[in-house]
Amino acid sequence: MARIYQVPSHTRLWLALAVVLCSLPQLVKGPLWQAGLLVLVILIRWLVEQQRLMLPGRMVRSLLLIGAVALTFYSFGRLYGPQAGVALLVSLFALKYLEVVQQRDAYVVVVLGYFVCATALLFSQTPGMFLYVVLCMTVLTTCLVGINHSDTRASGLLHGRRAVVITLQAVPLMVVLFLLVPRVAPLWNMQVGGDKARTGMTDSMSPGQISELSESAELAFRVDFQGDVPPRAQRYWRGLTLSHYDGRTWQQAVTQGQSESEYLYRRGTEKPDWYQRLESRYSSEQQRYRYQVIAEPTQRRWLFSLAVPFPLDGDMALAKDMRLVANQPVSQRFAYRVESVPAAAEAIGLEGQERQLMLSLPQDGGSRARGLAQQWRLESGTAADSARDIAQRALRYFREQPFHYTLRPPRLTADPIDEFLFRTRRGFCEHYASSFTFLMRAAGVPARVVVGYQGGEQNELGSHLLVRQYDAHAWSEIWLDGQGWTRVDPTGAVAPERIELGLREALENSEDGSDVLDDLGLRRFSDGGLFATLSQWMDYVDFRWQTWVLGYDSAFQYEFLEDLLGAVTPVRIAIALIVAVTLLMGLYALFLLWQSGNEKLTLMEREYWRLHQRASERGRPLVAGLTPMQLCQAISEQWPQAAVAAENWAKYYQKLHYDPLSPPDKQQKRHLRSLRNRLYKLLD
Amino acid sequence: MQLPAPIRNLYERWLARRLPPARQIVLDQRRIFIFPTGYGFFYLLVAALLFIGGINYENNLILALSFLLASLFMVAILHTFRNLSALGIRNGGSESGFAGEEGALEIVLFAQRREHHCVWLRWRGQDDQQISIRRGEEESLWLNLPLAKRGRVMAPRLKVESRFPLGLLRTWSYVSLDHYCLAWPRPEESLDCPADGGKENQQAFSSGQSGNDEFQGLRSYIPGDSLRRVDWKGYARGRGLNTKQFEEPVGGRLWLRWDCLQGLGEEKRLSVLCFWILQLDPQRQPYGLKLPGLTLAPDTGDVHRWRLLDALASYPDF
Repeated sequence: MARIYQVPSHTRLWLALAVVLCSLPQLVKGPLWQAGLLVLVILIRWLVEQQRLMLPGRMVRSLLLIGAVALTFYSFGRLYGPQAGVALLVSLFALKYLEVVQQRDAYVVVVLGYFVCATALLFSQTPGMFLYVVLCMTVLTTCLVGINHSDTRASGLLHGRRAVVITLQAVPLMVVLFLLVPRVAPLWNMQVGGDKARTGMTDSMSPGQISELSESAELAFRVDFQGDVPPRAQRYWRGLTLSHYDGRTWQQAVTQGQSESEYLYRRGTEKPDWYQRLESRYSSEQQRYRYQVIAEPTQRRWLFSLAVPFPLDGDMALAKDMRLVANQPVSQRFAYRVESVPAAAEAIGLEGQERQLMLSLPQDGGSRARGLAQQWRLESGTAADSARDIAQRALRYFREQPFHYTLRPPRLTADPIDEFLFRTRRGFCEHYASSFTFLMRAAGVPARVVVGYQGGEQNELGSHLLVRQYDAHAWSEIWLDGQGWTRVDPTGAVAPERIELGLREALENSEDGSDVLDDLGLRRFSDGGLFATLSQWMDYVDFRWQTWVLGYDSAFQYEFLEDLLGAVTPVRIAIALIVAVTLLMGLYALFLLWQSGNEKLTLMEREYWRLHQRASERGRPLVAGLTPMQLCQAISEQWPQAAVAAENWAKYYQKLHYDPLSPPDKQQKRHLRSLRNRLYKLLD
Repeated sequence: MQLPAPIRNLYERWLARRLPPARQIVLDQRRIFIFPTGYGFFYLLVAALLFIGGINYENNLILALSFLLASLFMVAILHTFRNLSALGIRNGGSESGFAGEEGALEIVLFAQRREHHCVWLRWRGQDDQQISIRRGEEESLWLNLPLAKRGRVMAPRLKVESRFPLGLLRTWSYVSLDHYCLAWPRPEESLDCPADGGKENQQAFSSGQSGNDEFQGLRSYIPGDSLRRVDWKGYARGRGLNTKQFEEPVGGRLWLRWDCLQGLGEEKRLSVLCFWILQLDPQRQPYGLKLPGLTLAPDTGDVHRWRLLDALASYPDF
C-alpha cells in the first residue's frame, strides 16, 4: 500500500491508556524504576504529539533499552525467570509504545499488551484480576478499532463503544470454549515460584509457635464436602505428627532405617503391609467423608485432611501416620480430593522400633511430671485398658487443677513441662498437647503430638468450610491396644468451648477476653451486619471461582462433559463445540445483519400495498408509484363494477392517512380493512 | 501474486460468471469474500501461544484469555463482513480523456442499511482510495482510469475492500460496473485542415474576430448551448436564461470532414480530426463535424467540443 499511515489522533489516547492499564499490575509489584520508565515514555509521547519534541531517534531508544535491561539485571540479578522476564517484557512494551509511528507498530504494541495481560494472570488469579484483564482486553480492542479507522471525523468514544460490544459478544463464546475445549496435559513442566513467605505451620512445634499463628485471620484452606459434614468437634485437620521431643521442641521423626517406600504409599507403586490392612478397612467401613480441599500455598509438602485420608487424586501420597504428602511443595493454590474413613485408624499397627520412638523422652527435664505419670501408671494397674485409664487421669488432672486457656501465656524458661504443669498453668493448645504427650510417654503409653487445624467456619452461602490460620491447633494421639491411634485433645479438657465453638468464642469467655480479639482483628464473619454478609459473599465468590474456574481441570471437565453429553468421546465433544459456537455465531449474525434492516412498513403502507398487489395479480401489472386515487382509477378502468367500492376505499384511505391531527384508531382501521375486503371480492 | 495463466483464466471466468456486470450492485454474501489478514494470522498465533502457555502453567485464566482472543476473532468475522455487506455501488459520471492519458470514472456508494467505515476502492494496479459512508447517505469517488487506446474503455473490475473494525480480517468483493470512459483520439498534427465551407485553409479564420458575427436576437436557452452565448445580463435582470443568436459568419459554415482525409487509416483520420477540433476551438468560430453516419452541426463552446471529441471517441458505434 502506498498510503502513508499515522496512528489517528482519536486513537492516541486509547493507546496510551492501554499501555498504562496493561502494565499497571506489574508496576505495582515490580521495582520502582519501571513505573518511572513508563512515566518518562508517556511524557515523551505526549510532548511529541503536542509537536514540542521530535520522536526520539534510534540512539535514544537504544540507550533506554540498554538502561532497562541493565536495571532489570540490577533488580533481579538475572534476565530470565518469571519475575525478571516479566519486568523485561513490561519495559519492552513501554519502549515499543515510544516508537509507534506506523500502523504495524501499533499492532505490535497491542500484541505485546496481550502478553503483558497474560503475565498479570500468572501471578494473580483472583476474579478481580481477571475482570481487570478483560477490561484491558477491551481497551486493546478499542485500540485495534481506532488504528483501523483512519477517518478524521471518527470519535474515540465510538471506538470504545464498538470494542465493548465486540468484547461482550466474545465473552459467551469464550465461556463455551473454556468449558468444551479439551484440557491437554502440560507439554513440559513450568512452575512459577511464588516465593513469598507466608504464615503457616512449620514442621516443628515449640511453645508459642501456634499461638503466633492464631493472630492471623489469613485463609489456610477451604473444604467442600460432598454429602455429610462432620460436626465441629470432629473436624480435626491433621497436618503433621511430631514424635521426637528434645525437652523444648517437638519434631517429625521416622524410625531409623525406614525407607520412604515403606513409609509412603503412592498410587501405582507397591503397596506396603500397613496400606493393605488400611485398604481392607477402607472398603468395609460405612462412615466416610468425601471432600475437596483447596489449600492456599504453603511452600510445604504436607497437606491437611481428616483421619484417615485416602487420596482420590494422583499427585500425592499417603504416609503411615495417616496424613497426606504432596509430590511437590504447594506453591500455588492446590486442590485435592480426599475420602476419609475415621474408623480405619485401628488397622495400623505399632511395633518394635516405632513403638520405642513413640515412648522416647529426653534425658532430663520434667522430673515432677515423670513422677506424676509413674504414680498414675501404678494406680491404674496392668489391666488391658490401663492406657485409657491413664489418659483419663491426665485429662481429669487438667480439668481439676486451675489450668487456664490463654493466647498470652507466660514465658517458660528452664523446664517447660514442669513449669507449665505445676507452676504457671496457663497455656495455649501447644502447651497442653506437649505436656499431655509427655505425661503419656512417661507413663508408658505410646503417644505423639499432632499439629493441624481444628474446626473451620461454614460459609452460609455455600456448603464449604473455611479454615483460617487462627484455627491452628495441636493435640495428641495415644496408642491403645485394639483401637490403634486414638485422638485425645487435652485442650478440650481445659477449654471445651475451643473445640465446640472455635477459638473466638473460647477467648471471649476467657479472662483475657475480647480485647485480644479486637487486637487481632479476629471478628470476622458471623458477627452479623453488612460487613459480615459482604465478606461471606466475597468468600463465596472467591471459593466458587477457585472450584469452578481455577479448578476446572481435565478431571472436572470430564465429569462435566459426562453430565452434559452422556459419554465423553472426541466426536461428541467436537459436535458439542461446533453446535454451541454455531448457535452463538448464528444469533450474533441475526442480530448484527438484520438489526438495521429496511424500515418496516407502517400499517397504512401495508394496507395500500396489499391492494396494489392484489390488483396487479388479478389484472394488468400496475406501476409502483401510484397515489391512492390513481390506484382507484386504475382499478375502475379494469373492473368498472368495482369503481364505487374502489373510490370509497381510496377516499377513506386518504381521510385516515392524511389527517395530521389524529392517527387512525382501531375501529377506523377495521373499517378500512372491511372496505378493502369488499373491493377484493369485486376484482375477478 | 500472479497465478499461472490457465488457472488465472479459469479464475477470471469464474469471477465473471459469479459477478456479472451491472449498473448498480448491492453487496451481499454471494459477492463478499473474507479471509484473515497477515496480522490476523499473527493474532491467531498469539492466541495459540497463550493457549500453550496456559496448558503448561496449568493456568486456567491464561487459557481463558487465549479463548477470549479466539472469540474476539470469531466475532470480528461477523463485524468485518457486516461492514461491507449491504453496501450499494453504482455508476456515477465519467470524465473522458485522450488516449494514452487518463480518464476518470465516478463511483457512487450508497448505504441503505448501515454505516460503512473505511472502505477501500481500487482497480488493479492502482492505489486504494478510502471512503466512509454514513447510513442513508451517498458518497462518490473519482477513480482514475488509464486510457490505453481510443474508444470506449470499460471500467475494470473494481475491488472493494475493508478491514474495519479490527484489522484481523480482510473482506473484499469484486464489482464489475457496466460503466465506461471515452478515450478521445490522440491529436496528431497535420497541416491541412480537413474542412470545407468557409475558406479552404486555416488562415481564413485565424483572425477569429467576433466582428464577423452579427447579433441577431435571443432565443430561450437549450441545455448544451455555449455558456459564452448566454445573455447573462438579461438573466441578471430576471429575464430568464436566453442564448444570444448571431448571424452566420461571413465565411459560411466550417465543416470538418472525415471524407477530406482520404488515404489515411481510420485511427489516423480520427487523430487528425481531433487535432483540428482542438485548433479550431479557441477561434470561437462555429465548426461542425461530418463522420460517416453522424453529422454534428457547427457550433462553438466547451460542450460542443466535448460532443465532437466524444463522437470521435465512440466512432464507429455512436
